[in-house]
Amino acid sequence: METLFSPVILFFVLGALAAFARSDLVFPEALSKALSIYLMCAIGLKGGVLVAGNGATVDLLLAAAAGLTLSMTIPLIGFFLLRGVGRLDPVNAAAVAAHYGSVSVVTFIAGDQLLSDAGLPPAGYMVAVLALMETPAIIVGLFLARRFGGADMATAGGSLWRETLLNGSVVLLVGSFVIGMIIGKPGFEPLTPVFETGFTGLLCLFLLDMGLLAARRLRNTRSLTVRLVAFAIIFPLLNGTLGVMIGGLLGLDVGTSTALGILGASASYIAVPAAMRLALPKADAGLYLTMSLAITFPFNITVGIPVYTAIAKWSV
Amino acid sequence: MVTTHPRKKIEILVDAPLLSRIQQLAKDAEVKGYTLQRTIGGEGGQGRWRAEEVTGGAGSKVVFATIVDEDTADRFLSDLEPLLSEYGLLVTVSPVEVIRGERF
Repeated sequence: METLFSPVILFFVLGALAAFARSDLVFPEALSKALSIYLMCAIGLKGGVLVAGNGATVDLLLAAAAGLTLSMTIPLIGFFLLRGVGRLDPVNAAAVAAHYGSVSVVTFIAGDQLLSDAGLPPAGYMVAVLALMETPAIIVGLFLARRFGGADMATAGGSLWRETLLNGSVVLLVGSFVIGMIIGKPGFEPLTPVFETGFTGLLCLFLLDMGLLAARRLRNTRSLTVRLVAFAIIFPLLNGTLGVMIGGLLGLDVGTSTALGILGASASYIAVPAAMRLALPKADAGLYLTMSLAITFPFNITVGIPVYTAIAKWSV
Repeated sequence: MVTTHPRKKIEILVDAPLLSRIQQLAKDAEVKGYTLQRTIGGEGGQGRWRAEEVTGGAGSKVVFATIVDEDTADRFLSDLEPLLSEYGLLVTVSPVEVIRGERF
C-alpha cells in the first residue's frame, strides 16, 4: 500500500488525473525527451557502477539467460492469445506481441526506485538484462508477422536493423552501463549530485508527463476492445508472476526476482513502436501504443509492481 | 518584372518512423531537395494524435515538403501511390511559382 503513496506514483496519478480532467497542463516535448535521456543515463551508470563493484557473477549470467528466454517466449504466447482471445489479425497480433516481449525502461526505473525505497534494491546487473531484453521480441514479432501474416519486410531493409539494434534507448543504456563499469564507484562520486541526488525528483517530473501521455492516449483511442483491455492487464500479470518465479528458482534475491518479473510484465512503448511502424506499416499503431502505454504501463506502475513484489516476498 | 517558373509543390504528412522511406523514394525519383517540418498534433480517421518524442516518435508525424518540376512530380507521386493507404500518408500537390527555376 505504501508504494501507492510514493511520490513517484503520486505524480503519475496527478498527470493522469490532469489529462482526464482536460487540464491544459502540457510538458514541453524537448523537456520530456531530455528527462528520458537523463533517466536512461542515470540507471545505466548506476547499474554499471554496481557491477564494477561486484564483478560479473553467475547470477548475472543466469538472469541474462532468463531475460532473453522470457523476451523470446512471451511474444510467442502473446501472439496466439491475441489471435484466439483478442481476435486480432496476424499482423496486428504479431506487432502487439512484440511490444509485450520487449520491456519498458520507465517501468523498470520506477520499479527499481520503489524496490530500493522498500529496502529491496535489485542487483545492478539487471540494467544489462533490461538492455538485452529490448530487441529480441522485435525479431520474434517480425518472424510471426511473416510466417502467419505474409508480411513483407524486405523494403524496411537496413533502416529497420539500424532502428532495432542501434535504437537510442539501447545505445544510451548500454553505453552508460559500460561507462559506469569503467569508472566504478570512485569515478561516479563526482557525478552523484546530478545522477543520484536529483534522480527521484526528476523521475517524479517524468512520471507526471507519462501520466499525461498515457491518459490522453486512452481518452483519444478508438481501436480498443474489452478483450484487448483484458489482455493488456492479465497478460502482464502472468508474465510478471512467471518472471518472479524464474528469478526465485535461479536463486536470485527478492528485489532482483521482482525486477525480472517487472521486466517480463512490462511492454515497450519506445523501441518497439518505432520499429513496428517501420517494418509492419499495416499494423495499427494506435492499437499497440495504446495497449502498452495507456493500459499496461499504468497498470504495472500502480498495481503490478506491488503485486510482483508481494509474490517475490512470498515465494523467494 | 521578375520572371517566374511554374512548379509543383508536394507536401506529405508521414509518421516519423516512415520518413526514411519517403526520403529514399524522393532520392530514387531524383528530387533535388526537400524541407522537413515538425507537427504538434491533429485529428483524423484514426482519432486525435499528438507529437510524442518519448514514444520513439512512433506517434509523431512530420511534413515532408518539396518543390519539383512536372516530370519529377509525376515520378515521385507514382512511386508514392502504392504506399498511400498502408503508410497512412496525406499527400497534397499544389501549383506554385518559383523565381530561380533551375533550382527545382
